[in-house]
Amino acid sequence: MATELKANGKPFVHYHAAHCESGVTSALLRDKGMDISEPMVFGIGSGIFFGYLPFMKMTGLPISTFRAAPGSIFHKTAKRLGAEFVTKKFRNPQKGMDELKQVLKTGQIVGMTTNMYWLPYLSERFRWNFLGHNIIALRETDGVFRISDSMLEHPIDCPVADLERARFAPGPANPHGYMYYLKSVNPRPDLRNASIKGMKSTCFMMLNIPMPIFGVRGMRFLAKKVIKSPDKLGFDEACRQLVGLIRWVEEVGTGGGGFRYMYAAFLQEAAQLFGSGELADLSKEMNAIGDSWRAFSVTAARIVKQRNKEKETFAKAGGLMLICAGREENFFKDLGKVVGKLKT
Amino acid sequence: MELEKEIFKDGMPKGYYTQNDNRKYVLDTNHCWSEEVCVAAIVSEVRANIENARKEVIAGLKSPLCYHMAVRQMDVKFLARAAGIAVFRVKRHMRPEIFAKLKSSVLDRYAVALAVTPEELKTVPDSEA
Repeated sequence: MATELKANGKPFVHYHAAHCESGVTSALLRDKGMDISEPMVFGIGSGIFFGYLPFMKMTGLPISTFRAAPGSIFHKTAKRLGAEFVTKKFRNPQKGMDELKQVLKTGQIVGMTTNMYWLPYLSERFRWNFLGHNIIALRETDGVFRISDSMLEHPIDCPVADLERARFAPGPANPHGYMYYLKSVNPRPDLRNASIKGMKSTCFMMLNIPMPIFGVRGMRFLAKKVIKSPDKLGFDEACRQLVGLIRWVEEVGTGGGGFRYMYAAFLQEAAQLFGSGELADLSKEMNAIGDSWRAFSVTAARIVKQRNKEKETFAKAGGLMLICAGREENFFKDLGKVVGKLKT
Repeated sequence: MELEKEIFKDGMPKGYYTQNDNRKYVLDTNHCWSEEVCVAAIVSEVRANIENARKEVIAGLKSPLCYHMAVRQMDVKFLARAAGIAVFRVKRHMRPEIFAKLKSSVLDRYAVALAVTPEELKTVPDSEA
Protein backbone atom coordinates (compact mmCIF):
# COMPACT_ATOMS: atom_id res chain seq x y z
CA MET A 1 0.00 0.00 0.00
CA ALA A 2 1.45 3.35 -1.02
CA THR A 3 -0.12 6.75 -1.65
CA GLU A 4 0.65 8.63 -4.83
CA LEU A 5 -0.54 11.91 -6.36
CA LYS A 6 -2.56 12.04 -9.57
CA ALA A 7 -2.28 14.73 -12.26
CA ASN A 8 -4.94 16.86 -10.58
CA GLY A 9 -3.21 16.71 -7.19
CA LYS A 10 -5.62 14.26 -5.58
CA PRO A 11 -4.26 11.15 -3.87
CA PHE A 12 -4.34 7.65 -5.32
CA VAL A 13 -3.75 4.65 -3.10
CA HIS A 14 -1.75 1.84 -4.64
CA TYR A 15 -2.53 -1.68 -3.45
CA HIS A 16 -0.51 -4.80 -4.12
CA ALA A 17 -2.59 -7.35 -6.02
CA ALA A 18 -2.07 -10.89 -7.25
CA HIS A 19 -3.38 -10.55 -10.77
CA CYS A 20 -2.86 -7.63 -13.14
CA GLU A 21 -6.31 -7.25 -14.66
CA SER A 22 -8.46 -7.72 -11.54
CA GLY A 23 -5.97 -5.55 -9.63
CA VAL A 24 -6.26 -2.76 -12.19
CA THR A 25 -10.06 -2.97 -12.28
CA SER A 26 -10.38 -2.83 -8.51
CA ALA A 27 -7.94 0.11 -8.40
CA LEU A 28 -9.98 2.01 -11.00
CA LEU A 29 -13.20 1.35 -9.06
CA ARG A 30 -11.63 2.30 -5.73
CA ASP A 31 -10.38 5.51 -7.27
CA LYS A 32 -14.00 6.38 -8.09
CA GLY A 33 -15.00 5.81 -4.49
CA MET A 34 -16.27 2.24 -4.55
CA ASP A 35 -14.70 0.06 -1.87
CA ILE A 36 -14.16 -3.27 -3.58
CA SER A 37 -11.47 -5.90 -3.15
CA GLU A 38 -9.53 -7.74 -5.84
CA PRO A 39 -11.13 -11.19 -5.29
CA MET A 40 -14.59 -9.59 -5.45
CA VAL A 41 -13.77 -8.08 -8.86
CA PHE A 42 -12.38 -11.41 -9.98
CA GLY A 43 -15.59 -13.21 -9.02
CA ILE A 44 -18.00 -10.62 -10.41
CA GLY A 45 -16.06 -10.46 -13.68
CA SER A 46 -16.17 -14.31 -13.93
CA GLY A 47 -12.39 -14.47 -14.10
CA ILE A 48 -11.97 -18.15 -13.35
CA PHE A 49 -11.79 -20.41 -16.38
CA PHE A 50 -9.81 -23.10 -18.07
CA GLY A 51 -8.83 -23.26 -21.71
CA TYR A 52 -6.19 -25.21 -23.57
CA LEU A 53 -5.24 -23.61 -26.88
CA PRO A 54 -2.70 -25.81 -28.67
CA PHE A 55 -3.01 -23.84 -31.91
CA MET A 56 -1.99 -20.54 -30.28
CA LYS A 57 1.62 -20.54 -29.21
CA MET A 58 3.63 -18.13 -27.10
CA THR A 59 7.38 -18.54 -27.50
CA GLY A 60 6.83 -22.03 -28.90
CA LEU A 61 4.70 -23.30 -26.01
CA PRO A 62 0.94 -23.87 -26.25
CA ILE A 63 -1.32 -21.68 -24.12
CA SER A 64 -3.27 -23.28 -21.31
CA THR A 65 -5.01 -20.44 -19.55
CA PHE A 66 -6.66 -20.53 -16.14
CA ARG A 67 -8.53 -17.28 -16.51
CA ALA A 68 -11.04 -15.73 -18.91
CA ALA A 69 -10.02 -13.84 -22.05
CA PRO A 70 -7.92 -10.68 -21.46
CA GLY A 71 -10.11 -7.61 -21.14
CA SER A 72 -13.25 -9.51 -20.18
CA ILE A 73 -12.81 -9.09 -16.41
CA PHE A 74 -12.85 -5.29 -16.66
CA HIS A 75 -15.66 -5.30 -19.18
CA LYS A 76 -17.94 -7.65 -17.27
CA THR A 77 -17.28 -6.13 -13.85
CA ALA A 78 -17.94 -2.58 -15.04
CA LYS A 79 -21.14 -3.64 -16.78
CA ARG A 80 -22.48 -5.68 -13.88
CA LEU A 81 -21.80 -2.91 -11.36
CA GLY A 82 -23.45 -0.32 -13.59
CA ALA A 83 -20.35 1.76 -14.26
CA GLU A 84 -19.86 3.85 -17.39
CA PHE A 85 -16.55 3.23 -19.11
CA VAL A 86 -14.62 4.18 -22.22
CA THR A 87 -12.35 1.86 -24.19
CA LYS A 88 -10.15 2.90 -27.08
CA LYS A 89 -7.78 1.35 -29.61
CA PHE A 90 -5.48 3.18 -32.00
CA ARG A 91 -3.80 2.52 -35.33
CA ASN A 92 -1.38 5.42 -34.97
CA PRO A 93 0.97 5.20 -31.93
CA GLN A 94 1.43 8.99 -31.81
CA LYS A 95 -2.32 9.53 -31.55
CA GLY A 96 -2.55 6.89 -28.86
CA MET A 97 0.09 8.56 -26.70
CA ASP A 98 -1.43 12.04 -27.21
CA GLU A 99 -4.85 10.78 -26.20
CA LEU A 100 -3.38 9.15 -23.11
CA LYS A 101 -1.66 12.39 -22.04
CA GLN A 102 -4.84 14.38 -22.61
CA VAL A 103 -7.00 12.03 -20.55
CA LEU A 104 -4.42 11.99 -17.76
CA LYS A 105 -4.51 15.80 -17.60
CA THR A 106 -8.21 15.73 -16.75
CA GLY A 107 -7.36 13.86 -13.54
CA GLN A 108 -8.47 10.44 -14.77
CA ILE A 109 -6.31 7.40 -14.21
CA VAL A 110 -6.11 5.14 -17.23
CA GLY A 111 -5.74 1.39 -17.53
CA MET A 112 -3.66 0.11 -20.45
CA THR A 113 -2.79 -3.22 -22.04
CA THR A 114 0.92 -3.70 -22.71
CA ASN A 115 3.46 -6.25 -23.79
CA MET A 116 5.47 -7.34 -20.77
CA TYR A 117 8.74 -7.74 -22.63
CA TRP A 118 9.12 -4.04 -23.34
CA LEU A 119 8.41 -2.73 -19.83
CA PRO A 120 11.88 -1.63 -18.70
CA TYR A 121 11.26 -1.62 -14.94
CA LEU A 122 10.54 -5.34 -14.74
CA SER A 123 13.36 -7.75 -14.00
CA GLU A 124 14.52 -10.53 -16.27
CA ARG A 125 12.17 -13.22 -15.00
CA PHE A 126 9.09 -11.20 -16.01
CA ARG A 127 10.30 -10.22 -19.43
CA TRP A 128 8.74 -12.42 -22.08
CA ASN A 129 6.41 -11.70 -24.96
CA PHE A 130 3.17 -11.80 -23.00
CA LEU A 131 0.77 -9.40 -24.68
CA GLY A 132 -1.86 -8.89 -22.04
CA HIS A 133 -0.28 -7.19 -19.05
CA ASN A 134 -2.49 -4.46 -17.56
CA ILE A 135 -1.09 -1.37 -15.84
CA ILE A 136 -2.41 2.03 -14.75
CA ALA A 137 -0.95 5.38 -15.77
CA LEU A 138 -1.24 7.97 -12.99
CA ARG A 139 0.38 11.12 -14.39
CA GLU A 140 3.01 12.36 -16.80
CA THR A 141 5.91 14.69 -15.97
CA ASP A 142 8.78 15.62 -18.31
CA GLY A 143 8.57 12.59 -20.53
CA VAL A 144 8.21 10.11 -17.68
CA PHE A 145 4.97 8.34 -16.79
CA ARG A 146 4.18 7.38 -13.23
CA ILE A 147 2.88 3.82 -13.44
CA SER A 148 0.94 1.85 -10.88
CA ASP A 149 1.59 -1.82 -11.70
CA SER A 150 -0.66 -3.78 -9.38
CA MET A 151 1.69 -6.77 -9.58
CA LEU A 152 4.39 -4.72 -7.80
CA GLU A 153 4.32 -3.36 -4.27
CA HIS A 154 5.00 0.29 -5.15
CA PRO A 155 4.30 2.69 -8.05
CA ILE A 156 7.16 3.08 -10.49
CA ASP A 157 8.46 5.32 -13.32
CA CYS A 158 8.45 4.47 -17.02
CA PRO A 159 9.89 6.59 -19.87
CA VAL A 160 7.53 7.63 -22.68
CA ALA A 161 9.40 5.85 -25.48
CA ASP A 162 9.38 2.52 -23.65
CA LEU A 163 5.71 2.81 -22.77
CA GLU A 164 4.87 3.58 -26.40
CA ARG A 165 6.81 0.51 -27.45
CA ALA A 166 5.02 -1.65 -24.88
CA ARG A 167 1.58 -0.38 -25.86
CA PHE A 168 2.19 -0.74 -29.59
CA ALA A 169 4.41 -3.81 -29.62
CA PRO A 170 4.64 -5.02 -33.22
CA GLY A 171 3.82 -8.64 -33.88
CA PRO A 172 0.87 -10.98 -33.52
CA ALA A 173 -1.84 -9.85 -31.07
CA ASN A 174 -0.57 -6.27 -31.04
CA PRO A 175 -2.45 -4.51 -28.20
CA HIS A 176 -2.89 -1.41 -30.45
CA GLY A 177 -2.56 0.85 -27.41
CA TYR A 178 -5.75 -0.50 -25.85
CA MET A 179 -6.73 1.84 -23.02
CA TYR A 180 -9.75 2.07 -20.75
CA TYR A 181 -11.05 4.26 -17.97
CA LEU A 182 -14.20 4.71 -15.94
CA LYS A 183 -16.38 7.75 -16.53
CA SER A 184 -18.67 7.29 -13.57
CA VAL A 185 -19.76 4.55 -11.20
CA ASN A 186 -23.10 3.69 -9.71
CA PRO A 187 -23.09 5.21 -6.17
CA ARG A 188 -25.19 2.29 -4.87
CA PRO A 189 -23.93 -0.75 -6.76
CA ASP A 190 -25.95 -3.93 -6.51
CA LEU A 191 -23.17 -6.24 -5.36
CA ARG A 192 -25.49 -9.17 -4.67
CA ASN A 193 -27.03 -9.18 -8.13
CA ALA A 194 -23.62 -8.71 -9.75
CA SER A 195 -22.12 -11.63 -7.77
CA ILE A 196 -24.97 -13.92 -8.77
CA LYS A 197 -24.54 -13.00 -12.42
CA GLY A 198 -20.79 -13.57 -12.18
CA MET A 199 -21.15 -16.99 -10.56
CA LYS A 200 -23.83 -18.12 -13.02
CA SER A 201 -21.75 -17.19 -16.03
CA THR A 202 -18.72 -18.92 -14.46
CA CYS A 203 -20.69 -22.15 -14.04
CA PHE A 204 -21.72 -21.97 -17.69
CA MET A 205 -18.18 -21.35 -18.90
CA MET A 206 -16.68 -24.19 -16.87
CA LEU A 207 -19.30 -26.85 -17.64
CA ASN A 208 -21.31 -26.11 -20.75
CA ILE A 209 -19.15 -24.69 -23.54
CA PRO A 210 -19.58 -27.31 -26.29
CA MET A 211 -15.90 -27.60 -27.19
CA PRO A 212 -13.44 -30.15 -25.82
CA ILE A 213 -10.74 -27.57 -25.07
CA PHE A 214 -12.61 -25.31 -22.63
CA GLY A 215 -13.70 -25.76 -19.04
CA VAL A 216 -13.63 -29.11 -17.27
CA ARG A 217 -13.48 -30.95 -20.60
CA GLY A 218 -10.36 -29.01 -21.51
CA MET A 219 -8.65 -30.11 -18.29
CA ARG A 220 -9.33 -33.77 -19.11
CA PHE A 221 -8.13 -33.27 -22.67
CA LEU A 222 -4.88 -31.72 -21.49
CA ALA A 223 -4.40 -34.32 -18.74
CA LYS A 224 -4.55 -37.13 -21.31
CA LYS A 225 -2.05 -35.26 -23.44
CA VAL A 226 0.32 -34.84 -20.48
CA ILE A 227 0.18 -38.57 -19.72
CA LYS A 228 1.07 -39.47 -23.30
CA SER A 229 3.61 -36.68 -23.83
CA PRO A 230 6.89 -38.47 -22.86
CA ASP A 231 6.20 -41.26 -25.37
CA LYS A 232 5.09 -38.90 -28.10
CA LEU A 233 7.54 -36.02 -27.76
CA GLY A 234 10.49 -37.50 -25.90
CA PHE A 235 11.45 -36.67 -22.33
CA ASP A 236 13.15 -33.31 -22.96
CA GLU A 237 10.40 -31.80 -25.07
CA ALA A 238 7.74 -33.14 -22.69
CA CYS A 239 9.56 -31.42 -19.82
CA ARG A 240 9.59 -28.18 -21.79
CA GLN A 241 5.84 -28.39 -22.29
CA LEU A 242 5.38 -29.19 -18.62
CA VAL A 243 7.45 -26.15 -17.61
CA GLY A 244 5.16 -24.07 -19.81
CA LEU A 245 2.19 -25.53 -17.98
CA ILE A 246 3.63 -24.77 -14.52
CA ARG A 247 4.09 -21.21 -15.68
CA TRP A 248 0.36 -20.91 -16.39
CA VAL A 249 -0.56 -22.47 -13.05
CA GLU A 250 1.78 -20.59 -10.73
CA GLU A 251 3.73 -17.86 -12.43
CA VAL A 252 1.50 -15.53 -14.44
CA GLY A 253 0.11 -13.61 -11.48
CA THR A 254 -2.42 -16.24 -10.51
CA GLY A 255 -2.32 -15.72 -6.76
CA GLY A 256 -1.34 -19.39 -6.48
CA GLY A 257 -2.96 -22.60 -7.62
CA GLY A 258 -4.13 -21.30 -10.99
CA PHE A 259 -6.43 -18.56 -9.58
CA ARG A 260 -8.23 -21.12 -7.41
CA TYR A 261 -7.19 -19.50 -4.11
CA MET A 262 -8.36 -16.11 -5.37
CA TYR A 263 -11.75 -17.58 -6.26
CA ALA A 264 -11.95 -19.16 -2.80
CA ALA A 265 -11.34 -15.69 -1.36
CA PHE A 266 -14.20 -14.35 -3.50
CA LEU A 267 -16.54 -17.10 -2.28
CA GLN A 268 -15.63 -16.26 1.30
CA GLU A 269 -16.57 -12.62 0.75
CA ALA A 270 -19.73 -13.62 -1.09
CA ALA A 271 -20.68 -15.94 1.81
CA GLN A 272 -20.49 -12.97 4.16
CA LEU A 273 -22.45 -10.79 1.74
CA PHE A 274 -25.32 -13.28 1.44
CA GLY A 275 -24.95 -14.74 4.91
CA SER A 276 -24.92 -18.16 3.29
CA GLY A 277 -23.29 -21.16 4.96
CA GLU A 278 -23.36 -23.15 1.72
CA LEU A 279 -21.11 -20.63 -0.02
CA ALA A 280 -18.68 -20.80 2.92
CA ASP A 281 -18.49 -24.59 2.51
CA LEU A 282 -17.89 -24.16 -1.22
CA SER A 283 -15.08 -21.72 -0.45
CA LYS A 284 -13.38 -24.44 1.61
CA GLU A 285 -13.82 -26.91 -1.24
CA MET A 286 -12.31 -24.40 -3.69
CA ASN A 287 -9.34 -23.98 -1.36
CA ALA A 288 -8.86 -27.75 -1.45
CA ILE A 289 -8.99 -27.70 -5.26
CA GLY A 290 -6.32 -24.99 -5.21
CA ASP A 291 -4.24 -27.27 -3.01
CA SER A 292 -4.53 -30.08 -5.54
CA TRP A 293 -3.46 -27.78 -8.37
CA ARG A 294 -0.48 -26.83 -6.25
CA ALA A 295 0.26 -30.52 -5.68
CA PHE A 296 0.16 -30.98 -9.44
CA SER A 297 2.62 -28.13 -10.02
CA VAL A 298 5.00 -29.48 -7.38
CA THR A 299 4.87 -32.96 -8.93
CA ALA A 300 5.52 -31.44 -12.34
CA ALA A 301 8.48 -29.47 -10.96
CA ARG A 302 9.88 -32.69 -9.45
CA ILE A 303 9.62 -34.39 -12.85
CA VAL A 304 11.50 -31.52 -14.46
CA LYS A 305 14.20 -31.67 -11.77
CA GLN A 306 14.27 -35.49 -12.07
CA ARG A 307 13.78 -36.11 -8.37
CA ASN A 308 12.54 -39.52 -7.23
CA LYS A 309 12.10 -40.81 -10.77
CA GLU A 310 10.11 -43.96 -9.96
CA LYS A 311 7.38 -42.13 -8.08
CA GLU A 312 7.12 -38.80 -9.87
CA THR A 313 5.99 -39.67 -13.37
CA PHE A 314 3.99 -37.97 -16.10
CA ALA A 315 1.18 -40.45 -15.39
CA LYS A 316 1.01 -39.17 -11.81
CA ALA A 317 0.94 -35.53 -12.93
CA GLY A 318 -1.81 -36.27 -15.45
CA GLY A 319 -3.71 -38.22 -12.80
CA LEU A 320 -3.60 -35.23 -10.46
CA MET A 321 -5.03 -33.07 -13.25
CA LEU A 322 -7.84 -35.57 -13.77
CA ILE A 323 -8.59 -35.44 -10.04
CA CYS A 324 -8.72 -31.63 -10.24
CA ALA A 325 -11.07 -31.86 -13.23
CA GLY A 326 -13.41 -34.26 -11.40
CA ARG A 327 -13.50 -32.13 -8.28
CA GLU A 328 -14.12 -28.95 -10.25
CA GLU A 329 -16.95 -30.55 -12.18
CA ASN A 330 -18.71 -31.44 -8.92
CA PHE A 331 -17.84 -28.06 -7.46
CA PHE A 332 -19.37 -26.02 -10.26
CA LYS A 333 -22.46 -28.23 -10.38
CA ASP A 334 -22.95 -27.57 -6.65
CA LEU A 335 -22.26 -23.86 -7.11
CA GLY A 336 -24.93 -23.70 -9.82
CA LYS A 337 -27.49 -25.22 -7.43
CA VAL A 338 -26.51 -22.90 -4.56
CA VAL A 339 -26.63 -19.80 -6.76
CA GLY A 340 -30.12 -20.71 -7.95
CA LYS A 341 -31.36 -20.49 -4.37
CA LEU A 342 -29.76 -17.11 -3.56
CA LYS A 343 -31.95 -14.05 -3.45
CA THR A 344 -30.85 -10.65 -4.74
CA MET B 1 20.44 -24.35 -8.17
CA GLU B 2 21.95 -20.93 -7.62
CA LEU B 3 20.03 -19.46 -10.53
CA GLU B 4 16.70 -20.34 -8.94
CA LYS B 5 17.40 -18.38 -5.77
CA GLU B 6 19.18 -15.57 -7.60
CA ILE B 7 16.33 -14.81 -10.02
CA PHE B 8 13.88 -14.23 -7.21
CA LYS B 9 16.11 -11.72 -5.39
CA ASP B 10 15.02 -8.77 -7.54
CA GLY B 11 12.82 -7.04 -4.98
CA MET B 12 9.63 -7.61 -6.96
CA PRO B 13 7.65 -10.17 -5.00
CA LYS B 14 4.26 -11.10 -6.38
CA GLY B 15 1.15 -11.56 -4.30
CA TYR B 16 -0.36 -14.93 -3.43
CA TYR B 17 -3.58 -15.56 -1.57
CA THR B 18 -3.24 -17.57 1.64
CA GLN B 19 -5.41 -17.98 4.71
CA ASN B 20 -4.37 -16.34 7.95
CA ASP B 21 -5.11 -17.69 11.44
CA ASN B 22 -8.74 -16.56 11.29
CA ARG B 23 -9.26 -18.40 7.96
CA LYS B 24 -9.51 -15.06 6.17
CA TYR B 25 -7.70 -14.67 2.85
CA VAL B 26 -4.78 -12.25 2.75
CA LEU B 27 -2.06 -11.42 0.25
CA ASP B 28 1.28 -12.97 1.01
CA THR B 29 4.55 -12.77 -0.90
CA ASN B 30 5.85 -16.31 -0.36
CA HIS B 31 6.03 -18.15 -3.66
CA CYS B 32 5.75 -21.87 -4.27
CA TRP B 33 8.87 -23.93 -4.96
CA SER B 34 7.55 -25.11 -8.34
CA GLU B 35 7.52 -21.52 -9.57
CA GLU B 36 11.25 -21.23 -8.93
CA VAL B 37 11.92 -24.35 -10.97
CA CYS B 38 9.74 -23.19 -13.83
CA VAL B 39 11.13 -19.65 -14.03
CA ALA B 40 14.72 -20.88 -13.77
CA ALA B 41 14.11 -23.39 -16.57
CA ILE B 42 12.60 -20.75 -18.83
CA VAL B 43 15.25 -18.10 -18.13
CA SER B 44 18.11 -20.54 -18.64
CA GLU B 45 16.53 -21.73 -21.89
CA VAL B 46 16.29 -18.16 -23.17
CA ARG B 47 19.90 -17.47 -22.19
CA ALA B 48 21.07 -20.68 -23.86
CA ASN B 49 19.17 -19.76 -27.05
CA ILE B 50 20.88 -16.37 -27.19
CA GLU B 51 24.30 -17.85 -26.58
CA ASN B 52 23.78 -20.57 -29.22
CA ALA B 53 22.65 -18.03 -31.77
CA ARG B 54 25.68 -15.84 -31.03
CA LYS B 55 28.07 -18.74 -31.52
CA GLU B 56 26.41 -19.77 -34.77
CA VAL B 57 26.65 -16.23 -36.12
CA ILE B 58 30.34 -16.04 -35.26
CA ALA B 59 30.90 -19.44 -36.87
CA GLY B 60 29.25 -18.08 -40.02
CA LEU B 61 26.30 -20.48 -40.02
CA LYS B 62 23.54 -17.95 -39.37
CA SER B 63 23.00 -14.26 -39.98
CA PRO B 64 23.08 -11.68 -37.14
CA LEU B 65 19.30 -11.41 -37.55
CA CYS B 66 19.02 -14.80 -35.85
CA TYR B 67 20.87 -13.50 -32.77
CA HIS B 68 18.75 -10.37 -32.43
CA MET B 69 15.60 -12.45 -32.83
CA ALA B 70 16.74 -14.66 -29.95
CA VAL B 71 17.49 -11.62 -27.77
CA ARG B 72 13.92 -10.38 -28.24
CA GLN B 73 12.57 -13.88 -27.51
CA MET B 74 10.77 -14.10 -30.83
CA ASP B 75 10.43 -16.94 -33.30
CA VAL B 76 10.38 -16.69 -37.10
CA LYS B 77 6.60 -16.40 -37.31
CA PHE B 78 6.52 -13.66 -34.67
CA LEU B 79 9.31 -11.69 -36.34
CA ALA B 80 7.62 -12.02 -39.74
CA ARG B 81 4.41 -10.51 -38.35
CA ALA B 82 6.30 -7.80 -36.46
CA ALA B 83 8.36 -6.69 -39.46
CA GLY B 84 5.62 -7.26 -42.04
CA ILE B 85 7.79 -9.62 -44.10
CA ALA B 86 6.71 -13.07 -45.34
CA VAL B 87 7.82 -16.06 -43.26
CA PHE B 88 9.74 -17.70 -46.11
CA ARG B 89 11.69 -14.50 -46.69
CA VAL B 90 12.58 -14.19 -43.01
CA LYS B 91 13.79 -17.79 -43.09
CA ARG B 92 15.94 -17.00 -46.12
CA HIS B 93 17.36 -13.94 -44.38
CA MET B 94 18.67 -16.22 -41.64
CA ARG B 95 21.37 -17.33 -44.12
CA PRO B 96 24.41 -15.05 -43.83
CA GLU B 97 25.18 -14.82 -47.57
CA ILE B 98 21.63 -13.66 -48.33
CA PHE B 99 21.47 -11.33 -45.32
CA ALA B 100 24.67 -9.57 -46.50
CA LYS B 101 22.97 -8.54 -49.76
CA LEU B 102 19.81 -7.08 -48.21
CA LYS B 103 18.62 -3.61 -49.19
CA SER B 104 18.61 -0.92 -46.52
CA SER B 105 14.80 -0.61 -46.71
CA VAL B 106 14.39 -4.24 -45.60
CA LEU B 107 17.02 -3.84 -42.88
CA ASP B 108 15.17 -0.78 -41.56
CA ARG B 109 12.00 -2.79 -41.16
CA TYR B 110 13.83 -5.42 -39.14
CA ALA B 111 15.53 -2.71 -37.11
CA VAL B 112 12.19 -1.13 -36.18
CA ALA B 113 10.62 -4.47 -35.30
CA LEU B 114 13.55 -5.47 -33.09
CA ALA B 115 14.16 -1.98 -31.64
CA VAL B 116 17.84 -1.85 -32.63
CA THR B 117 19.70 0.50 -34.98
CA PRO B 118 20.47 -0.78 -38.50
CA GLU B 119 24.19 -0.79 -37.66
CA GLU B 120 23.66 -2.92 -34.58
CA LEU B 121 21.56 -5.32 -36.62
CA LYS B 122 24.58 -6.29 -38.72
CA THR B 123 26.81 -7.17 -35.77
CA VAL B 124 26.75 -9.37 -32.69
CA PRO B 125 28.65 -8.77 -29.43
CA ASP B 126 32.01 -10.54 -29.20
CA SER B 127 31.65 -11.77 -25.66
CA GLU B 128 28.82 -13.25 -23.69
CA ALA B 129 26.53 -10.53 -22.35
